[in-house]
Amino acid sequence: MTDIDTRVIHLIAQLVPVKEHDIKPAQRLRDDLGMDSVSSMELLSMLAEDFELDVGIEDVADVHTVAATIELVKVFLAKKAA
Amino acid sequence: MRALGSDPGSEVVDALLEQTRRFCAREIDAQAIDATARIPPSVLSGLAELGLFGVTLPEVHGGAGLSLADACRVVDVLARFDRSVAVSVGLHLGLGTRGLVRFGTAAQHARWLPSLASGACIAAFSTTEPGAGSDLSALRAVAREDGEHFVVSGEKSYVTNGGFAGLFTVAVSTPGLGGAQRGQSLLLVEPTDAGFSVQREEHKLGLKGSSTTGLLFEDARLERARLLGEPGQGARMLQHILSWGRTLMSAGCCGGAAFAIEKALAHTSQRTQFGRPLAALDVVKERLARLRARHFAMEALVMETAAQRDDEALAVHSLAAKVFCSEGAGLIADEALQLHGALGFIEDTGLALVVRDVRVTRIFEGANDVLLTHLGTAELSRHATRPAATVSDELERALADLTRTLHTTHRLRIFRTPRLLHALGHATHWVMASRATTTRAQSTGQPSHHAMATLIEQEARSAVSRAATVTADDVVFHQVLGLERHGANP
Repeated sequence: MTDIDTRVIHLIAQLVPVKEHDIKPAQRLRDDLGMDSVSSMELLSMLAEDFELDVGIEDVADVHTVAATIELVKVFLAKKAA
Repeated sequence: MRALGSDPGSEVVDALLEQTRRFCAREIDAQAIDATARIPPSVLSGLAELGLFGVTLPEVHGGAGLSLADACRVVDVLARFDRSVAVSVGLHLGLGTRGLVRFGTAAQHARWLPSLASGACIAAFSTTEPGAGSDLSALRAVAREDGEHFVVSGEKSYVTNGGFAGLFTVAVSTPGLGGAQRGQSLLLVEPTDAGFSVQREEHKLGLKGSSTTGLLFEDARLERARLLGEPGQGARMLQHILSWGRTLMSAGCCGGAAFAIEKALAHTSQRTQFGRPLAALDVVKERLARLRARHFAMEALVMETAAQRDDEALAVHSLAAKVFCSEGAGLIADEALQLHGALGFIEDTGLALVVRDVRVTRIFEGANDVLLTHLGTAELSRHATRPAATVSDELERALADLTRTLHTTHRLRIFRTPRLLHALGHATHWVMASRATTTRAQSTGQPSHHAMATLIEQEARSAVSRAATVTADDVVFHQVLGLERHGANP
């Protein structure tokens, strides 16, 4: 697990009633972590702020899992570095 | 005043509505129902004989197989006579049976639908708990698999029809079931199930004739066949069921508002002040006109909502209709009481009862503030990337511009400032109401309807303008409340 993975999971754990060490990449934000449409967007908002990323709503339409969330952060970090 | 959506209805439905009107006028005494906190059994059995408990249930199981729109017409008529009766029947047709009809198996249909359609069995529905209201992810009532059974424990609150229901659709947490680690599922529960009990009746502000109870599960054992729909997919099913429930509740708001307006029109045309009927005073005239326009708009939005065939579209429309109609019913009932002067404060007038009855509609089936935040979220997702140039209507373009500005300014941070989503949701529900009102006015072609559409459009413009003034800055609120401010939004 990379530092980014750990940071993302740490932030997710602040929003859901699941312990940090129980959060796995394959988990779905809604079915497995109990998030709804607003709280999942709030999570993505927290991530964008924490990693200082310029992410729009159009970029997160297909982000439904922890793994997809981590991937989104990595893609935007790469864009920022480029 | 014509019935909801009566432009035009089918002959069968029109006949049913007329029969219902006659029955209600003859048999329903709203003041007595309020005073005794009980709907007489003769009223419930009479409604059953009319077939009202089977309106939306499949014909093959004894129902009438009518549409959500037709059920709205029925609930509207009932609410004009008594809101407790309307809520009891509306709950049965919507939240109570919709899940079973849509997601139930053939065996489940055969077991319960015939008695539900005849009214021999009344349906109830439950998600709310002492610690979980609008937030479904907070459900604590839990069902765990045990062989071919589920063992259910936990409490439920504020269950409409709870005191006399023969079947409950209950949302519970089912960790791990169906592969969803924090999923919810729906279970069908009968009052005789071991380990399950219905709690005492709540003492309420209004809707006193309707039953409202808690439920208690103490390791209740339910056979696996009681699972409704897909395991762990309760949230998705609930979206559909709640959409029906909110639409029917909105129709009830229309009926309650219609009663209040009729009372206000009658009183202001008879009561003389300053040598003229109240209705001839220009302040009163404007007030009556605005109330009629609001009611016309409420009906228009309900019928547009009930006509939606796509689940997502129905969900979004029902959010707007629920908020618009519950706020409208509260406003109209309050204003109608005001127009009666001191007389309105007297219970015999019937307006105090309407004021008390409709108050809860802003709270149950999703508190309005929560629903507006969800509506704002939906609107943002829909419009964020849509070029304003593709929107032809001026009002819609103003909303699209507002949405795009919010997105451009705040990006994803907006989801950490629900006040902005709430403001957007508020503007959105007004624009949706205005659009539905204009469409309805165009379909009837009546000058008074066009005038009503104009009034509603003016209010919708104001709502969009107000939403544009809301900012993320919350310093003043923290100062007023004496709170320290943690973090800052732009």
